[in-house]
Amino acid sequence: MTTAPEAAAVADEAPGTERRLAGVRLQDYALLIVVILLFITGAILKPDSFPTADNIRNMLTQASVVGVLAIGMTFVIATAGIDLSVGSMVAAAGMAGGVLVDPDGGTLIFILGALGFATLMGTVNATAIAYGRVVPFIATLAMFSIGRGVALLLNDKLPVSLLDLNGGSFGDPRPFSLLWFGTGKIVGIPISVYVFLGITVLGWVLLNRTAYGRHVVAVGGNRQAARIAGVPVRRTIFSVYVLSGLLAGVAAVLLCARLASASPVSGNLYELDAIGAVVIGGTSLMGGRATIVGTFLGVLTFALIFSLMTQLDLSTEVQQVTKGGIVLGAVLLQRPEARL
Amino acid sequence: MTDAPVLEVRGLVKQFPGARALDGVDFDVRSGEVHCLLGPNGAGKSTLIKCVSGAVEPTEGEILLGGEPLPQGDPAASLERGVATIYQELDLVDDLTVAQSVFLGHEPKRGPFLDLDRMNRETAELLARLAHGGISPRSRIWSLRPAAQQVVSIARALSHDLRLLIMDEPSAILDEGEIDTLFEVVRRLTADGVAVVYITHRLDEIRRIGDRVTVLADGRTSGTGLPADTPTDRLVELMVGRIVERLYPERPATEGDVMLEAKDLKRLPEVRGVSLEVRAGEIVGLGGLVGSGRTELLRLIYGLEQPEEGEVWVGGERLTPGRPSRAIAAGLGLAPEDRKSQGLLLDWSQTKNVSLADLGRFERGILNVRAERAAAREHLRALQTKPDDPERIVRELSGGNQQKVVLARWLLRRCRVLLLDEPTRGVDVATKAELYRVITDLAREGLAVLVVSSELEELVGICNRILVMREGEIVFEVDGAATSERELLRHAVAPTDSADFIEEVE
Amino acid sequence: MSLKRLFMLFAAAAVLSLGVAACGGDDDDSADSAQTTTDTSAESPAKGGDVTIVASVPPTDHGWLGAISKDAKAAAEKHDDVDFRLLEAADADSQAQQIEQVISEKPDALVVLPQDGAALTPVAQKAERAGIPVINVDRLFTAPDAATATILGDNYQIGVLAAEYISDQLKCKGNVVEIQGLAGISVTEERTKGFKDQLKKSCPDGGIDIVASQPGDFNPDTGLKVMENILQAQDKIDAVYTHDDDMAQGVVQAIRNAGRDDEMFLTGVGGSQDAMDQIREGGLYRATFLYNPNMAASAVNMARLIALGQGFSELVPPEVPRQLVVPAATVTKQNVDKYEQYAFN
Repeated sequence: MTTAPEAAAVADEAPGTERRLAGVRLQDYALLIVVILLFITGAILKPDSFPTADNIRNMLTQASVVGVLAIGMTFVIATAGIDLSVGSMVAAAGMAGGVLVDPDGGTLIFILGALGFATLMGTVNATAIAYGRVVPFIATLAMFSIGRGVALLLNDKLPVSLLDLNGGSFGDPRPFSLLWFGTGKIVGIPISVYVFLGITVLGWVLLNRTAYGRHVVAVGGNRQAARIAGVPVRRTIFSVYVLSGLLAGVAAVLLCARLASASPVSGNLYELDAIGAVVIGGTSLMGGRATIVGTFLGVLTFALIFSLMTQLDLSTEVQQVTKGGIVLGAVLLQRPEARL
Repeated sequence: MTDAPVLEVRGLVKQFPGARALDGVDFDVRSGEVHCLLGPNGAGKSTLIKCVSGAVEPTEGEILLGGEPLPQGDPAASLERGVATIYQELDLVDDLTVAQSVFLGHEPKRGPFLDLDRMNRETAELLARLAHGGISPRSRIWSLRPAAQQVVSIARALSHDLRLLIMDEPSAILDEGEIDTLFEVVRRLTADGVAVVYITHRLDEIRRIGDRVTVLADGRTSGTGLPADTPTDRLVELMVGRIVERLYPERPATEGDVMLEAKDLKRLPEVRGVSLEVRAGEIVGLGGLVGSGRTELLRLIYGLEQPEEGEVWVGGERLTPGRPSRAIAAGLGLAPEDRKSQGLLLDWSQTKNVSLADLGRFERGILNVRAERAAAREHLRALQTKPDDPERIVRELSGGNQQKVVLARWLLRRCRVLLLDEPTRGVDVATKAELYRVITDLAREGLAVLVVSSELEELVGICNRILVMREGEIVFEVDGAATSERELLRHAVAPTDSADFIEEVE
Repeated sequence: MSLKRLFMLFAAAAVLSLGVAACGGDDDDSADSAQTTTDTSAESPAKGGDVTIVASVPPTDHGWLGAISKDAKAAAEKHDDVDFRLLEAADADSQAQQIEQVISEKPDALVVLPQDGAALTPVAQKAERAGIPVINVDRLFTAPDAATATILGDNYQIGVLAAEYISDQLKCKGNVVEIQGLAGISVTEERTKGFKDQLKKSCPDGGIDIVASQPGDFNPDTGLKVMENILQAQDKIDAVYTHDDDMAQGVVQAIRNAGRDDEMFLTGVGGSQDAMDQIREGGLYRATFLYNPNMAASAVNMARLIALGQGFSELVPPEVPRQLVVPAATVTKQNVDKYEQYAFN
């Protein structure tokens, strides 16, 4: 029961700075309504297991990996770019960290290795796009392939077990051990959820309350005008891909912590989930309009759908149709002309 | 010229939710005449032409075409009956050929296939009829200059059976020479009996091309079917509902130190070695035809392009070439030629557009949005930007107010040198007068201002000093108070063909 | 071993940095072309071999498929008279194109593990018509004239064995969760069907409920997420039947993270070294059902025999049979030592 009111509070704040056309605010709330409706549906269909604190924890934990990616993706898409490589970067970063600590090494080395390697890959994207003038779609499509290849190469296509980093028994990992980041809790809330929420809040502040964030959206909205107003266009574009890489590293740490291993096939198609969450949240693929609150709600929407459908044990076909239908409905609800 | 009205508009009213765009419009257009439509922004001109072209359905009133009621809100029916509209922003597709553009939507066919030969042949005929046989039906739209693109639009209108042509500010994107050709084309059309509705902000054009003029103000026709030689003062009065004392304010008198200095700037082929200086408190005009290198010169000074040779100095400091951010830091500000595509983020609020160039001022770790809004509001208010709502998105503002948002940005940035490229393009007369006042006030406060304009008249009206460019060089310099439009034009055009032009202006 | 991997990591990092430098320097000659492709074909030293065999397989980014390609290469290397090449294809489409290409090169035999049997049937028929014998591995073509010989594991039998094992362990009483493979392919369908059919036979009076049955896409992180949700929905789970050892690692982790590893046990499919280690240790991972990737080695050997016009000498008359079904086997703590020789990484 905690998620919905929290989200509402954040959503309330956003229009204060970005009050827009009348009617657009309905767009902001449309997704919140979808999230609430999904939650209510779950509570009705699975009253014993869905609306429980434990399940909310579970959904937020699951959302955290793609959620962190989606925050980075919001910045990228705000500049009218795209990053197709985040899923591959997650796999490669996890494998890079894993290779570094196998057979011996600590959690810190794993985390630094994963973050460092992901940031390096993000920097390659950034350089190719900002200075090599490669179209984002192509540059990150190349990294999509390179990242996956590197992930497979690093340990001869095999996963790396990270059980040695658990630092204690399962369910009660030692603080700051790797598994603690996946399953550890502070006052009942998993660490990965803190990480996700923390990055979301930081992302919101960065986008809405710093000159940098303003520059990001300006570059996506009108590159010419931004340049004439003195915005460092290339540096800004460069930075969002580095940021996306760094956050892919964070996502890799969260995922590996939960899996207790690094797998070269992990993160498959995560880029689509991240892009989907960002766009369903109301950030424009054409750039110039970005909302972290929307992205957050988009991530929650996907997490709710997934959780609900697996709990209901729907067959794959039905799941696919339902998921597509809900996504389409949510987007239709957000059209400016939509009225309730 | 016959007197039978082709178009009659009677008591036209259009009610939008919350706004009455048209509130009783009457006018008629005769066959073979050029009927000018005049009015400040927001007077309802575009709603009126949209009613006639069928894009908008009027709430009340009637529109008769050749004596018969025109089906309302049906663009296809209007087109079928010979009504064509050429909008200000040309609606041509860049990658199509001329012939494809002309026949877009009604391509001639042989069986199921396009009859390309016929398309090209008929396009060539239409262009020849407009005295532009030189444009190849096979060229791509993007390769044509704006004037030629406009001719293609007109040819497209002609490819239907044309009885009434509506032109929305066709001269806004053209320079003097091109306007001249446009008028030639219009005269050919009227000679064939086509009626033309011509919307413009430039009063001189009414006399040059118009037969009659109708003035719109606040959704009403405040004067309809007036003769084209109605005195300017009278037209302005009808437009703004009061007498505008004077269009041009007193020129700023003070002159300070040299603030901007360009030394032998060169970037071939557009700019071939230009030196100039602008002093604090001075308004310097930069005239010349489109393509003479004026805009390119501004871009070089500002660092948007890298010069091949030459230096730019601002307040005694040499600028790093090709770095707009350095130019801004040194105190330069640019209001670009095309506000919408280069100056503004249209979906952003006024506040955010104003603060964009100087966000650092409000940032102590995080942005102080309250201080940002207050500062933006202060500068927007000083320029009397309307509406007085800093959170209103800029797309909804009129052209003149959009320009003020750009100016407010540079005031907030405390810039010392303002570069203005076509500052009053697409702005109505009343707002123009306001912008002139703003610009001269800024100069009086000590800013150095360099203005590029195609409207030589306004340069003569506000500048202390005017430079005329031709083919990438400054060919003439004169005191603004001691020159005339005619003198400037003589220097702006190449010596060989200047004679025709000057006659035209007179 | 770990030195080699460290080296790989630094090599990858260096190449990526090089990419940055190349772009940053506005340098036109691209220094980064080296990183674009990895060579997947096995370099065969026997250039003048008597028979040419080409194998086409899906991407070997999965433990079992990786073992398939290794076993095939190893088998080919044992024969001096075989010139062998292994091709990986990213999806069914590109695999079809690849085979199309190979047909024009006229190899003596073609070994195909199709990404999708139905989609690749036409191109296999084309190869057959062009006189190239096709040996179909694991996933079946849908027409009888698409392959000269077929070798496959018994996916249905795996489901049967799993049902026998689980019903026996649970004494026909309890809740079972099934984490399937990739939805919509024959392997998954067969493993599910065999399991359900046999449950009815083993426990004619019922007693075992399949409380959830969801695809985990043969992918550990999907397995993890799906199992996390099922754990939320189900209070009491006695056994988990997973379709794959690799994927099972994610499922195992979900159960451990929830602290419910004492409540249930789990079975895998395939026979990976990891799974066998865990089975030997005892605990959550109780059994796996052998689905041996060395059928690829048999396929290469069959291809060689067919190409040379020979047959299995034990058969009368000595020829290569049209279809070979490799039996499945149940691996538990009791017999893991016996089967460990077949384990793959």
